[in-house]
Amino acid sequence: MDAPESKSAGNTSPQPYLNPYLAGLLLGLTLLASFLILGAGLGASAGMARLAAFCQMCIAPEHVLSSEYFGGWGKSPLNYYLVFMLAGTFLGGFLSAWLSGRQQVRLERGTACAGATRAVLAIVGGVIAGFASRLAQGCTSGQALTGSALLLTGSLVYLCCVFAGGYAAAWFFRSQWHD
Amino acid sequence: MIDTFFSLDALGSPIALFISLLIGLGFGLSLEQAGFGSSRRLAGIFYFRDMTVLKVMFTAVLTAMLGLSWLLAAGLIKLDSINLLETIYGAQIIGGLLLGIGFVMGGWCPGTAAVGLASGSLDALLFLFGAMGGAVIFNEWYPRLAEYVNWGNQGVLFVYDTLGTTRPVFALAFTAVGVAAFWGSEFLEEYVGTGNLRRHAPVLVVVSIGLLLSAGGLFVTPASPTPGSGHVASFAQVRPGSASISSSDQALLETIETAADHIEPEELADRLMAGDAGLYLVDVRSPAEYAAYHLPGAVNLSLPDLPTALAARRNQGTIVLYSNGMTHPAQARDVLQRQGYQNVYLLTEGLVGFLDRCLKPASVRATVLSDAELKRINAWRSFFLQAAPLPAAASQRGREPDRPSSEGQAVIWPSAVKPEVALPGLVSTAWLADNLGKPGVKVLDLRPQPEYNRGHLPGAVSLQVESLRGMSAGVPSMLLPSSMIVQHFSQLGLRADDIVILIHGEKLHDATLVGMAFDRIQHRYWGILDGGHALWLAEKRPLTRDLPQVQPVSRPPVEESDRFTVTSEQVLRSVRQQDSVIVDVRPVVNFLGTESDEARAGHIPGAVNRPYTEEVVTSSDGVVRFRSRQDLASAWSALGVRPRSENPSPNDGRSTEKPVIVHCRTGHQASQAYFLLNYILGFRDILWYDGGWTEWASRPDLPLATGTPSESGN
Repeated sequence: MDAPESKSAGNTSPQPYLNPYLAGLLLGLTLLASFLILGAGLGASAGMARLAAFCQMCIAPEHVLSSEYFGGWGKSPLNYYLVFMLAGTFLGGFLSAWLSGRQQVRLERGTACAGATRAVLAIVGGVIAGFASRLAQGCTSGQALTGSALLLTGSLVYLCCVFAGGYAAAWFFRSQWHD
Repeated sequence: MIDTFFSLDALGSPIALFISLLIGLGFGLSLEQAGFGSSRRLAGIFYFRDMTVLKVMFTAVLTAMLGLSWLLAAGLIKLDSINLLETIYGAQIIGGLLLGIGFVMGGWCPGTAAVGLASGSLDALLFLFGAMGGAVIFNEWYPRLAEYVNWGNQGVLFVYDTLGTTRPVFALAFTAVGVAAFWGSEFLEEYVGTGNLRRHAPVLVVVSIGLLLSAGGLFVTPASPTPGSGHVASFAQVRPGSASISSSDQALLETIETAADHIEPEELADRLMAGDAGLYLVDVRSPAEYAAYHLPGAVNLSLPDLPTALAARRNQGTIVLYSNGMTHPAQARDVLQRQGYQNVYLLTEGLVGFLDRCLKPASVRATVLSDAELKRINAWRSFFLQAAPLPAAASQRGREPDRPSSEGQAVIWPSAVKPEVALPGLVSTAWLADNLGKPGVKVLDLRPQPEYNRGHLPGAVSLQVESLRGMSAGVPSMLLPSSMIVQHFSQLGLRADDIVILIHGEKLHDATLVGMAFDRIQHRYWGILDGGHALWLAEKRPLTRDLPQVQPVSRPPVEESDRFTVTSEQVLRSVRQQDSVIVDVRPVVNFLGTESDEARAGHIPGAVNRPYTEEVVTSSDGVVRFRSRQDLASAWSALGVRPRSENPSPNDGRSTEKPVIVHCRTGHQASQAYFLLNYILGFRDILWYDGGWTEWASRPDLPLATGTPSESGN
């Protein structure tokens, strides 16, 4: 299970993933560094929402600026530390995948699952997650990971709810991973 | 002590943005190395095939949590240097459940999808498009959701406080659960046949021992309070054993002598804010006083009831007694100590001292404060002043900006001088003549320099209004930020507790604009000479050409932001929601859009017009004064600026039916409306759009209207 799922067609065989506990340690130290230097934890969904606000602003600037939630971010929503962090996350992932020979264009799914089904589920899942992370002011990174490390009550409740929601819905979407 | 970018309010600085990028780099690298660039692997946890998500996340949470706990214990960082997310039960429960569903459906969460995309996953790209769409939907629905998003908001809440325990106890329990979950996951994976226990075991043994030792070690750090003993030990003044000797009078006297029986207001404030569960706060004043105001969490007990009511808490936790002063609680403490209580403390200087030492605004303090002290005071103020309104007597000392107080209330003035009206407000020429030259009374002459040079009030210092304004974020003629105003007034020799009287010439709104500057820096005692220089001259009161000696003073720094200035974004929001009365005080021709000095002509949609010239009358000898209070009240009432019906009391900060935003072209004329609404009509929550038509007209993206508003009077 420590080998990547995709059938590698590349010239270099992908390296195995890092031991999960060492990866966790690395992630924890990154989070700690963020606390100590920035005074804020990690985050991904805020950067994404600001990217969304930026894209929408290219189409309908007046509408976005006058909207209550996006409008509060002003005319340049991308000028925010979490946007830069998201860019860094992408670059870090890119670098790591490239160095480990894991970069491959693919649509991950079980062999028994149609590509279109998987695509629709990915989009709809994204919509739900994007909405939820604005409602709760954070996603797995900003709330569950960061808030739990700070021992904040609400973030720990959130973390439990993420898994509760996930396990409750898992049965309905199991077919997309069937081989 | 580490200063974070958050604590310095510099998260938006270029260097912080660059560091965010680097931290993101580490974040992405960790996630990718963990295998989170694969949705199949991520989703595995929901089918008990692959527990990597749990292992990585829990290890990361524990690593960061324990690392932070150690640094906190070592005093290297403070929790308030970190952005702490509020606990909002409604949004977090619903949001968590939804995110879980989205996670298992899409196979990603936002952070991992970024990494998935970077490693070439097309489903990650689709998920990200979806997530951006979800954010857009949230924004579009926000007006309908707004009233629910804060449901169950508890503020910043630590789980160990919620559970009534301490950080080390919870940290150890949490770590133990984590370690158990790691081993459970490994055996589960073995059981379903996906496991790799043999390969993971050596690292897991080391990680388990390391985490548990690190959590256990928190109990032996000096700063970590353990239940029972820790609360007493954290009192700086307590000497070992001094509070635990017998109840003999000799010991009691020694305790008093060393002040070991006191708790300082600052320490009490910090512990109340931290939600210290071991603290039992007793207010021994009368029920009426208690009902009017008490410290959060305090219980009201009368002195005779104390021994019975406190019996269960004898030597359990920390009992703090307080009254207005110290005499009554001290007597009560003596009685309790004779009964064997060793955990009873007095609040040093009582409630009065608490208000003075913790809640008095930084701007009216005599000493210069360090940034750290300023931050601490502002944190106390936002915590305790939001928790409950202060009593009338206390608000005179502790709150800003000052409300016009009703007559008969004792106002504690900074010096022997006592104005006949509450400040800020209008003062009469007779009062100024009586008090001119007294220490603590300063006069600023706002007329043009040549007129000042021809003759001014003895001791009056010249100030040109425009020197308080400048370009801000591309908008001209904005009132300067607090720090620059403070610097300016320091140079003019104005102390934080001086009474400053403003003298205007033809433009009354020069004085009200300077008043905005005083309000912005929370300088409490300022007034406008009723009738201005012209009336003083007409009454043939003394004038001089002598230039006064000005001794620069140092003033404490103040909060950068004020509570009354609004931005164009906030105005726009009010326009959309139609929840405010927007009053444009420019001349009618500018309002209608038939004449304009700016790029676009017209007015803010929904605004009503009340030209600033309507507020004043000018007599034949050039004396400019406000119209009578009745005239002003009825005129503004017709505009829709009325007191709330359930709050008909004419004094002491009435609320208006709707929030009021006043503006003009540059903020200058509108300051006059702000003054009269606040300090003559006594309304609270009046907002000032300083950017005004200059900014609004320059922004083609902002809507405008011309002609007469269809719905008048609002």
